[in-house]
Amino acid sequence: MRKSRNPNRMKKVGWVEVRGWFFTSPYLVFTLIFFILPLIWGFYLLFTNWNLISPQKEFIGLLNFFEALKSPKVHAAFFTTYKAMAIFMPTVLISSLGIALLINSIPRFKGIIAVAFFLPYLVSGVAFSLVVKGVISYNSPLSPVFRQLFGYIPDWLGTPILAIIVISLMITWKLSGYYALIFLSGLSSIPKELYEAADVDGATSWIKFWKITIPMLYPALYTVMILAVGLMFGIFTEPYMLTGGGPQLATHTWYLEIYYQAFSAMRAGYGSTIAFINAIVTFISIIIIRKIMEGWGKAYGPV
Amino acid sequence: MKKILILSLMLVLVFSLVATAQAQVKVTYWTAPNPPQEVFWRNLSEKFNASQNKINVYVTAMVETPSSESTITNAVAGGKAPAASGNIFPGFGATLANSEAVVALDTLPGFDEIIEKRAMKEIIEGWKFADGHVYILPVYANAMLFGWRIDTLKELGFTEAPATYSGIMDVGKALKAKYPDRFLIARKELIEPTWWQRWFDFFMLYNAASDGRPFVTGNEVTADDEAVIKVFKFYGDLKANDYLLTMPATDPFETEVSIWRSLGPWSFPGWKERFPELVINKTFVAAPPPLPDDVGLSYAKTFADAKGLVIYAQRSPEEQAAIWEFIKWVFTDPINDLAWIDATGMLPMRGDLVTNSTFDRVFKEHPELIPYADEMAYAVPAIANEKFSDIQTILSDKGLVPVVLGKVTPQQGWADAKAAIEALLK
Repeated sequence: MRKSRNPNRMKKVGWVEVRGWFFTSPYLVFTLIFFILPLIWGFYLLFTNWNLISPQKEFIGLLNFFEALKSPKVHAAFFTTYKAMAIFMPTVLISSLGIALLINSIPRFKGIIAVAFFLPYLVSGVAFSLVVKGVISYNSPLSPVFRQLFGYIPDWLGTPILAIIVISLMITWKLSGYYALIFLSGLSSIPKELYEAADVDGATSWIKFWKITIPMLYPALYTVMILAVGLMFGIFTEPYMLTGGGPQLATHTWYLEIYYQAFSAMRAGYGSTIAFINAIVTFISIIIIRKIMEGWGKAYGPV
Repeated sequence: MKKILILSLMLVLVFSLVATAQAQVKVTYWTAPNPPQEVFWRNLSEKFNASQNKINVYVTAMVETPSSESTITNAVAGGKAPAASGNIFPGFGATLANSEAVVALDTLPGFDEIIEKRAMKEIIEGWKFADGHVYILPVYANAMLFGWRIDTLKELGFTEAPATYSGIMDVGKALKAKYPDRFLIARKELIEPTWWQRWFDFFMLYNAASDGRPFVTGNEVTADDEAVIKVFKFYGDLKANDYLLTMPATDPFETEVSIWRSLGPWSFPGWKERFPELVINKTFVAAPPPLPDDVGLSYAKTFADAKGLVIYAQRSPEEQAAIWEFIKWVFTDPINDLAWIDATGMLPMRGDLVTNSTFDRVFKEHPELIPYADEMAYAVPAIANEKFSDIQTILSDKGLVPVVLGKVTPQQGWADAKAAIEALLK
């Protein structure tokens, strides 16, 4: 027999739903205005050569895509990202994990020290770039040291490989404290009993680190890896301030190219196209890293 | 009775105010986001508003994030452009003109009067676009010069700044012999692709070597091939001989790491604070760009870091006429140009700076500005083509940077860059 509906209950549920929509509406309206509509607009721009102000607006199909895929600057942005990733990922993992282990081993004031390491994340990229520029400049106090030790002063920003290393290490410095907080929360959730059991079995610290700490940190490691990969596709301030993408495109990134096309060359359509390709490449890269991490997690993780 | 009288008076007052407000044309002027310029334009708008009651000019600074050009583009795209704005250089002016976003100023009544009163008859020729019209009214120009450490030059046995490429090489040789760790010039931007940096290295020398021959005219590369190759070769030679430092250096000219640099007048207020020992004709001199040895000119043209103002086409004819009245009021009185120099330290674009007695006081107080005023007549504005940034980026990527790095010959570098620019302009 079919149950009869309770009209009062329905009314109550309906009111709850209305209230729910009402309270979420500011976020929804914000998302609609500042995310969904620009996204649709940006998608439309992909197929035009419009500069946003000209009365002439041409629909050019996929020409922007063809141009972008052939562009040496887009190729450079693609490879620069992976080169930076190859330097940034290991350095940031080692340093942030090191900071987290260090803080975790301190008996008191963990919070304050963790916040101190987090501070670089809040430092303006522009200000930090200026400081780095000063430190590696020809007339910095470090130069005589290099000259005495090696007989010359390295051209940090004029040598392609050194320039990408400098930029990657700057990002490592900025992000290490932030990622260390994630690792710290992961470390605090590892049950102490596991280490006690290992002690009973006579495991060394080295074995405990690799067999307990790292596998049990899998969720934190997973989060950090995904965040770090995503971040690499959005590098802008450091190369913009220090190298302008040079020497010879060695530090040319996706965001530098998007900024240049959209705001210097005033090519809104082409700039949107590069942003779209960047989004796809980012998405694919994150999926690949996710798969690798999940594979590793299945083999060695805590589950 | 008394109350009725007061009420009536108040009503008359209110209606008069409303009527005045309605009759007034309100227009907005966007100034560069630079406090001295904001103060200058605000003061003038207040004076202008007080001098009549038909037009009310409101001055506000434009946003410069991510750039003033994109702010203007967004405003035009959204139909919210002001009546007029400053801070427009020829390249962006070309984008606006080609997009029919700005008014041809030479079609407005009183344009010739401005040109005449500012002695700009010859200067304005360089500001005409391919269609023969003037869309930007030049406001100020920094005729870029090169600064030389005259104290070091004298120490090396040179009494004045060298004026030719070979003269510079001689200075470089003498400098390296005495101070192996110092450089003629420190400019890391010479190996970077940043398009606007070419104004302050390549175009200074190119305008001198080519006697100001246009680099691009309409959709054609009209550059003087020989002049480009000579400039490329000169910068390449500087690097090859270790006279050019392309590493970052903090205040290299000021700290004598280098003795030669491109120099705009905006550096002087900062020097006064931080490097008071830098005094014109004592520790440094400002000289025109050097010339290739076989160019027998008695003067050297240079790049004009110049900006001007435009009137936007999307505002009503009444608003355009109103802002034009204000512009005419500002630019037909040299006292306002004097106020501009006092406020900003930059020279207004006019052809009689040295001869007009209005400016005598300024040059007496700021002798460092005299060489800039002298060079004004030889200053060539930036490329007026809407693909300005692409052209100058190609010039960097394919031409100047590989030549400086010794990857290609100057001839090959220019052949590659020229072919790529021609393909771009097709």
